[in-house]
Amino acid sequence: MVELSLLINTDLCFGCQTCEIACKQENRLGTGPRWIHVIEVGPEKIGGVLKLGYRPMRCLHCSNPPCKEVCPTEAISKRKDGIVVLNSDLCLGCKACMEACPFGALQWSPETETVGKCTLCAHRIDEGLDPACVASCPTRAIYFGDINELTELKRKESANSIFW
Amino acid sequence: MIQEGGKILKTICQACHMSCGVLVQVVNGKIARIDGDPEHPLSQGMICPKGIAYQQVVYHPDRLLHPLKRVGERGENKWQRVSWGDALDHIAIKLLEIKEKYGPESIAACCGGNPRRSMPATRFLTESIGSSNWAYSDAFYCWGPHVIAENVTYGGRITSDVNIDTRNSECILVWGGNPVHTHTIVARDIMAARRRGAKIIVVDPRLTATASKAHIWLQLRPGTDAALALGILNVIIHEEMYDKEFVSKWCVGFEELKGRTLSYPPEKVSEITGVRAEDIKTVARIYTKAKPACLYLRVGNELIFNSTQSSRAIACLIAITGNIDVKGGNLFPCLPKGTIGRMFYVKKEWRLPEEKEEKRIGAREFPLLAGPRAPFGLFHTPLLVKAMLTEKPYPIKALIAANNLCLSLPNTREICEALKHLDLLVIYELFMTPTAELADFVLPAATFFEIDELIDRYSNFITVRRKVIEPLGECWDELKMTYEIVKRMRLKFTPWPELQARGWQGYEDFRLKDTGFVFKDIKAGEYVFAPMEYKKYERNGFTTPSGKVELYSSIFKEFGYDPLPDHVEPFESPASTPELAKEYPFILITGGRTIPYFHSLGHQVPWLRELVPDSTIEIHPEAAAKLGIREGNWVWVETPRGKGRIKQKAKLTRALHPKVVHSVAHWWYPERLTPDHGLWESNINVLTYSDPPYEPICGTCAMRGLLCKIYKGTEV
Repeated sequence: MVELSLLINTDLCFGCQTCEIACKQENRLGTGPRWIHVIEVGPEKIGGVLKLGYRPMRCLHCSNPPCKEVCPTEAISKRKDGIVVLNSDLCLGCKACMEACPFGALQWSPETETVGKCTLCAHRIDEGLDPACVASCPTRAIYFGDINELTELKRKESANSIFW
Repeated sequence: MIQEGGKILKTICQACHMSCGVLVQVVNGKIARIDGDPEHPLSQGMICPKGIAYQQVVYHPDRLLHPLKRVGERGENKWQRVSWGDALDHIAIKLLEIKEKYGPESIAACCGGNPRRSMPATRFLTESIGSSNWAYSDAFYCWGPHVIAENVTYGGRITSDVNIDTRNSECILVWGGNPVHTHTIVARDIMAARRRGAKIIVVDPRLTATASKAHIWLQLRPGTDAALALGILNVIIHEEMYDKEFVSKWCVGFEELKGRTLSYPPEKVSEITGVRAEDIKTVARIYTKAKPACLYLRVGNELIFNSTQSSRAIACLIAITGNIDVKGGNLFPCLPKGTIGRMFYVKKEWRLPEEKEEKRIGAREFPLLAGPRAPFGLFHTPLLVKAMLTEKPYPIKALIAANNLCLSLPNTREICEALKHLDLLVIYELFMTPTAELADFVLPAATFFEIDELIDRYSNFITVRRKVIEPLGECWDELKMTYEIVKRMRLKFTPWPELQARGWQGYEDFRLKDTGFVFKDIKAGEYVFAPMEYKKYERNGFTTPSGKVELYSSIFKEFGYDPLPDHVEPFESPASTPELAKEYPFILITGGRTIPYFHSLGHQVPWLRELVPDSTIEIHPEAAAKLGIREGNWVWVETPRGKGRIKQKAKLTRALHPKVVHSVAHWWYPERLTPDHGLWESNINVLTYSDPPYEPICGTCAMRGLLCKIYKGTEV
């Protein structure tokens, strides 16, 4: 079974927010909904050193999505490949999913008065392309693929950095 | 979701200076999508928020599409749409009148740090008229200081993004810049270098995005860059780590430099800069022992009171470590043989006669910025602005500007007042700006998606920009505007016969005339490379009076400046003006960039404005707590000599020293319908100064390292 996912190499993310605008372009989003949003963390003193980091926050495509559970119209579903999708035609705009999501991934769209979310660019994936955020990231900080492959990739990278 | 169909065209982005390759999907003559071009040799597929969102610039409902003529009072926002013919005739007649009455020098032109075609367009206007009063108007605080310093030291510029060979470097020292937000390709390349083990060092008063990825971040007190560089030099020389062979063979003045650095031991430098002595030593060792290392110098080192001499100290640092024009170091660019570079007209052989250049505003006060011997020859903008007001040393009656001077220059009040004094103000622009609102004519400029152009802003290749759409409305290439104005004045287009004969449309072929290439034959996505050459100085030496790197500058000596770099305390600081600092306790730095905006462009673009919606001042949480300021509060900012106050939104961050605050610059509110578009509300340059003291060589007005006070707003 495939479980498609994104994994961020936070060491490589420098907060340029290109992924955000690439996502806006790809999914034709206006002002308001931010399906991916890079949050600045810090600077905080950690172990005597001032640290500043960037975390691209987006839908994590949970195995048991709390948003799906609470949706009264069953607008949210999980595809076989793991992608959690929201059918806006069925969306009431009740916002129950926004309340349920622990990560703030569900975004209000003022134009349609419905909820929208990261689709992992399913339309691109179906054509064999990477999601827009992945393709546009200057430092290739966003990894995309089956979760098992991604952890393996991270492992290799980590191992290489230790022995470099 | 995404639009289907259409065609995908290659061109070169110009949302900033970097000139990345982009793929543009055009459907029914309209841009539908912008992506990075993976085949571009420099950008290799990279794109940034500014680049993608430029489609919202092109199709913005407020974009200027027709020539406009003022019908009300200046700044009243009453305009009449006129034909190009009418606008150009009026402008030409008025310019001829002014030229007749006050002489050619009374007509000035300038462009800004925008990378449009406005630079040659405005330059050729004054060249054709016979006036030497042209400038990249912000050069006196940005670009000019290090250009002067590097020219007198090596005879060429060596620290910009086209010069640094990050891909082959073992250590990258970023000084006073945040390329993540300004030159994202450079930041990407720095990250790649870091991954393969190169050491990254960042010098900045703020913990920036770039600094957050560095191995070492030196947090210096604003304005003390020269002291820090001299401290690093002291360690390198004291520990005998410098490149002895390069120094003995290719440098003059080493002993004198050594003598100067004796006054800057790390402990003393630590007191001046706030950087720990141990860190100064560590950086000196890492930067010197990495072979090769490159140094990326940015505007943080130039907006300060000691701009030129601090650039000189850094120039010496690059020299004595032997990192000049070596693989992985700081390179002199090499373009394909015969290419006439994009700024050829500032070189000596293309400039107006000396007697004309001597008349340029600022030539007497700042000869290396504005005089005939200056490496580029640009008017000193604050003095030009004052000449508009006082008619001294002579009247300035007309200005053709392709930028938003009221936002970019220090002392907004003065520049606005001065522009109102002109007999003729013409603006080449994309949008109605606070500056354009004061004009007589506003001429709509084409964006880079709408023009063809030769692009050479790279270290070793050239390529072409091809238009992907026709210009919207009646927008024109800015070079055409100048050509048509000059034609109507019955003057020759530029002083150079070859360009006269070719006209504005032959500009690219003029630049290629000695290369064997023809502009129309170079297709979008084609690159003409020059072989990469190193140590080019071994052939002909350095283009300095001695033919060597001048650590002790004979040119500075000749002009009466200190031939050696030195630290000068900011004219306003807790150390130099302790009494003033009691009332104005914060050290103010202004104009740190944010990724969505290119200077004053982008605030009207929805995708970009959402990223940075407010004009902010960054303040340390401890300092904020003492003033009762919380995150997101609107606060008032005042400076000792600035008139009035501005409001900024407080952003609490430990990225700064508790005594330092940072305000963004260039903030205006395009959405405000009043003619000033909120120019006075949050624009930090309302509070900066255009009066002396100027930095003595380039005439810099310090816009970083001032004093200010902040208090919580009640009525904001």
